[in-house]
Amino acid sequence: MRRFHPITVLIIALLLVLPQAALAERDFYKVGVITSLSGDLATGGNVTKRGYDLWAQTLNAAGGIEINGQKYKVELVYGDAQSKPDQGASAAERLATQEKVDFVLGPYSSGVTLAAAPVLEKYKIPMITGSAESPMIWLQKFYYTFGTIPPVNYTGASPIETLMALDPPPKSAMILGSNDTFSKATAEAFKEAAEKAGIEIKKFNIVPAGQDLMSFMSLAKALKPDLVAFGGHDEELINLVKALLQINYTPKALLMHYGVTEPAFVEALGKNAEQVYGASVWTETVHAKGEDLWADAAAYAKDAEAAFKVPADYTQAGSTAAGIAFQAALRQIKAVPPLDEAEREALVKALEKLDIQTFYGRVKFAEEGQYYHANIGLSPLTVQIQGGKPVIVGPEAEAQSAPQYPMTPWDKR
Amino acid sequence: MLLLPQALVDGLLIGGIYITIAIGFSLAYGVMHIIDFAVGEWIMLGAFLGLYLSQWTQMEPLLLLPVVFIVFGVLGYLFQPVIYRVLSGKKGNPLLMALVFTFGLAIAFKGLGLTVFGFFSRSIPSAMAANSFTFVKGDFFVTIPVIRLIGLVYAIGVTLVLSWILKRTDFGLAIQALAQNKEAAGLMGISAKKTNSWVYGIYVGISAMSGVLIGCMFSISAQMGSKYTVLSFFVVVLAGMGFLAGVPWAAFLLGMVQSFFLIYFDPGYTLLAVFIILYTVLLISPKGLFGKGV
Repeated sequence: MRRFHPITVLIIALLLVLPQAALAERDFYKVGVITSLSGDLATGGNVTKRGYDLWAQTLNAAGGIEINGQKYKVELVYGDAQSKPDQGASAAERLATQEKVDFVLGPYSSGVTLAAAPVLEKYKIPMITGSAESPMIWLQKFYYTFGTIPPVNYTGASPIETLMALDPPPKSAMILGSNDTFSKATAEAFKEAAEKAGIEIKKFNIVPAGQDLMSFMSLAKALKPDLVAFGGHDEELINLVKALLQINYTPKALLMHYGVTEPAFVEALGKNAEQVYGASVWTETVHAKGEDLWADAAAYAKDAEAAFKVPADYTQAGSTAAGIAFQAALRQIKAVPPLDEAEREALVKALEKLDIQTFYGRVKFAEEGQYYHANIGLSPLTVQIQGGKPVIVGPEAEAQSAPQYPMTPWDKR
Repeated sequence: MLLLPQALVDGLLIGGIYITIAIGFSLAYGVMHIIDFAVGEWIMLGAFLGLYLSQWTQMEPLLLLPVVFIVFGVLGYLFQPVIYRVLSGKKGNPLLMALVFTFGLAIAFKGLGLTVFGFFSRSIPSAMAANSFTFVKGDFFVTIPVIRLIGLVYAIGVTLVLSWILKRTDFGLAIQALAQNKEAAGLMGISAKKTNSWVYGIYVGISAMSGVLIGCMFSISAQMGSKYTVLSFFVVVLAGMGFLAGVPWAAFLLGMVQSFFLIYFDPGYTLLAVFIILYTVLLISPKGLFGKGV
């Protein structure tokens, strides 16, 4: 019989022992982070990473989470979802079984969240996603999954309402959505709100993700809708504006979702990003007073700018707020690391009862209904790019500036 | 019906983009028999060079195309011996190894791009991207974006120049000889190593230039490459692997399918239609549309 070399035996023994070592007592919380650091959604994925990193750095610099007079730091362990739902599920599996994380900060994009959530349900690990917005997630009623960003059907109606308050309001619309979970839901939310407002829908289509939109914009030029609304991710939003430019058609209003608040949108399009509408729940000027880490939105924006040299958008802020929500819930249940199954269960209960004020606004997760475990503590805002920045233009109570309407034609800019 | 002229024009213009991304790929396959999975990444790198050069020089990016071609042409020429070494190995299956090698290269370039250029989407600003010609005749109308027209002219121009080189020059004859029979060409005094380096240089240069054009039409990002690799693979397979003259027709066919589906049918089925056409063509004629692929 072939005998093993002693070093081989030693290595095998070490490999068997090491995962056990991870279970041993530790004086920090091990936090899993699933996000897309590569692939088509790497932009948004890295923005969420910034949000989670900033939370961990600021919290650790302050000493950590204080439980019974002792402070516990957090350590983030990353799993790259590569912008693919199946990879997101694999990352969740690894974080749960090998890394033995205490809780998880969730993925970028709804598709990945929908794939990772069932895995975490199986291992009974709480997750808060800072950037998944499809209503489908909350309809699944995952017990262990929460979200700080409200779903698009909660926020999507706001810009349509703002537009309807204009004189004269848009009468017709062309609504498109890219074929992914979030974008489809956004387009459907726009459509529902537009129909409710009495806007004639001249064209509604879900197009393959990454589609060249020029032919569609030729169609827009023929149909002449007052409003062109599009559900998509950052790259697609830039492509839509470029297609409109190329075909030289300026609708009266161009509406997208949160992507317009990403600094890359303005940077890539310059003056052509001006006057584009979006939906958001946070900007650095929003009136919010925080109890933990940051006193208000402006203080957070300042720290974020110093750390990453680019302005923070609401995905990043929502991701940071996810960390703060965990932090507040852990303080309430006084659970020290590592968390066992009963403590993780108690953490879920605490999150359900949580109602806190943060720099991001109020965090209050729904306990029932279609928004189950989504954050319903925030007011949807309408933003418009004005002077190179997203500015709140609606609802009236929150508005910092009047909406600019109709859009200035591309060739007059 | 009113949109028919526009659908036809859009199809041609989309086809033009497909030609730009597939023509170099087809040339490289025809000569070196290598499926270069890094084609999309060469496009991405070219686009970023175009972006930075235009920001630095404040010049119209389209005027910088020759510079991008030369930089990447030289890069490709110098890089080819590495691929040649993998391709000419004696052990295992060199063709398969080369496939894996370019796949790895694509991943490495993508990672390099994410590290150097960051993860945000960018756009190459071009004065040509905001103009269009509109023709109206009664109820019919056609809009032709200038930048897309330039793309089509560029695509046809590159195809014609490549065809001329292949058919009318000694260098072209050497390329054809190599593509047909490497050993016999070697016996006639053609250096496979050198010729392949030139071909790879030309291919990389063309792909990089296409990247700049694409950046003027669409957004660019470090992770954009794989999409263009798949598209160029589609076009080249449909045209017949390595059959250069088939590329424009395959590209126009795919462009028309896409344009007509978007305007007249459910755009959600565009990709399905493209796949069905590809499968049907391959079932009937496994060597591509014209049966002339390798």
